[in-house]
Amino acid sequence: MGGRLSRTLAVAANTFRETVRERVLYNLVFFAILLTVAGLLLGQLSVRQDEKILKDIGLAAMDLFGTLIAVFIGTGLVSKEIERRSLYPLLAKPLSRGEFYLGKFAGLAFTLLVNLGAMLLGLLLTLLLTGRRPDPVLLGAVFPILLGLLLTVAFAMLFSSLTSATLAAVLTVSVVVVGRFADVIRGMRDVAPGVPPALVNALFAIVPNFSNFDFKSKVAYGDAVPAAVLGWTMLYAAAWIVVVLGLGLAAFRARDFK
Amino acid sequence: MTWRLALLLLAAASLVPASQARIDQHTGTFRAQEEVLYLWSGEHVRRLVPGFESLAADIYWLRTVQYFGGQRLFVSGKRFELLRPLIDITTTLDPRLEIAYRYGAIFLSEPPPLGAGRPREGVAVLERGVAALPESWRLRQDLGFFHVLFLKDPQTASRILIEASQIPGAAFWLRTMAADVLAKGGDRASARLMWQRMFEQSEEGIIRENARVRLSILDSLDARDALAAAVAESARRHGHWPARLDRLAAEGLWRRPLADAAGYPFGYDPSTGRVFITDQSPMWRPD
Repeated sequence: MGGRLSRTLAVAANTFRETVRERVLYNLVFFAILLTVAGLLLGQLSVRQDEKILKDIGLAAMDLFGTLIAVFIGTGLVSKEIERRSLYPLLAKPLSRGEFYLGKFAGLAFTLLVNLGAMLLGLLLTLLLTGRRPDPVLLGAVFPILLGLLLTVAFAMLFSSLTSATLAAVLTVSVVVVGRFADVIRGMRDVAPGVPPALVNALFAIVPNFSNFDFKSKVAYGDAVPAAVLGWTMLYAAAWIVVVLGLGLAAFRARDFK
Repeated sequence: MTWRLALLLLAAASLVPASQARIDQHTGTFRAQEEVLYLWSGEHVRRLVPGFESLAADIYWLRTVQYFGGQRLFVSGKRFELLRPLIDITTTLDPRLEIAYRYGAIFLSEPPPLGAGRPREGVAVLERGVAALPESWRLRQDLGFFHVLFLKDPQTASRILIEASQIPGAAFWLRTMAADVLAKGGDRASARLMWQRMFEQSEEGIIRENARVRLSILDSLDARDALAAAVAESARRHGHWPARLDRLAAEGLWRRPLADAAGYPFGYDPSTGRVFITDQSPMWRPD
């Protein structure tokens, strides 16, 4: 058990180093510039809405940049190893496919965590430097963003285990976009009463509701997200991540690399 | 080779401002009047940016402020046609953006050239705000004020001000003001109190500045009335209207400047004794 965990962690650490080497964290520089410029300009342009807009920009950038990293690095995690044929010597070592797959997931999850943490720190610092109170309530939106990103990585890895990196990226983006429209599916009964309720319910159940991870507007106004809501959101994300990672792992195990 | 490339880049880069200057010569440096809103419905915009509605609202809010400021500064014959749709889109994307309702209502209601001169639309924006933010007594207070100041409807205003006073945390003076409005029908003293409240509640910026101008206009109207009373007193003493306003000072009937709050001299018609604020003055408003 200990050996299995240490092998998984070794893959995770390598994946983290690899993503950092791929200059993923360069987005932090862009983020810093964005916030600095916004902080300097918004006071003049926004009729005293600069604090709310700064928070909106910061949180939206965390969500957007995080999603881009999750999709484009996530789809390459497995497929690149296959294309470069670097997977074969790895699997010849005493390393199971499960350890490799979960290690890759954990490595990118850590990259995203570091990325989000640095961006949050940047946002709090910008608020402080522009004379605003660094609001800990922001964590109530950042944590769900991280959960959504982890689910996105799980989908990216599932699709990249089944198909090419490009198609996997397209499919992952589609799932994320459809997931953000999940409430439209739920409201389908109101706009199209003819659609059988069972079909609507089934459709709603199989689409991950990414809007569950969106508390950006709420915290931008300083409202705290209740702990119970965060707890249920975490459970929802965990359930989906386990299912999607499980499916991805099954597909990766079933794949013939000869 | 490298210096040749650098020279080429420099030459190309220098063409950018030069060509922009030429384009501006043809089209004018500010083209707000040609602006078109490609998406007129906030719901459509909302569907395009799932998860980023709040950021989209900020962008539309900044665009609203830029549009309004640009029209006021650079456009002649301004009509602010895009102000209402921009405010509607902004508040659909973020129904909690209280400043957008207040800003939109004021500048839709104010008469030209300061605003669009469409007070019913201004009130409609506030009604939307009140529906979206029922706990905001300030928005409901503004709605009451606007019914008096722009629609001249003290009955409705009084009812709305009483509703505002019942919201937890509401200012204690709302109930008194509701009674005053009903009793006095929205006279100048009530209007002064309302603009004073709006001035005190706004942070530094265009809304506060508008309230300040409104208070100055009321000061000018008071000064005009006092001056008219002095003219009447002079006529009573001499049996005819004074030939010029500065005669009043010699008679000891007037000790203040003969100008409105913006420093523009009051107009005077010696044949009728009418004193008025001239239409060149920023204190002038249509009756």
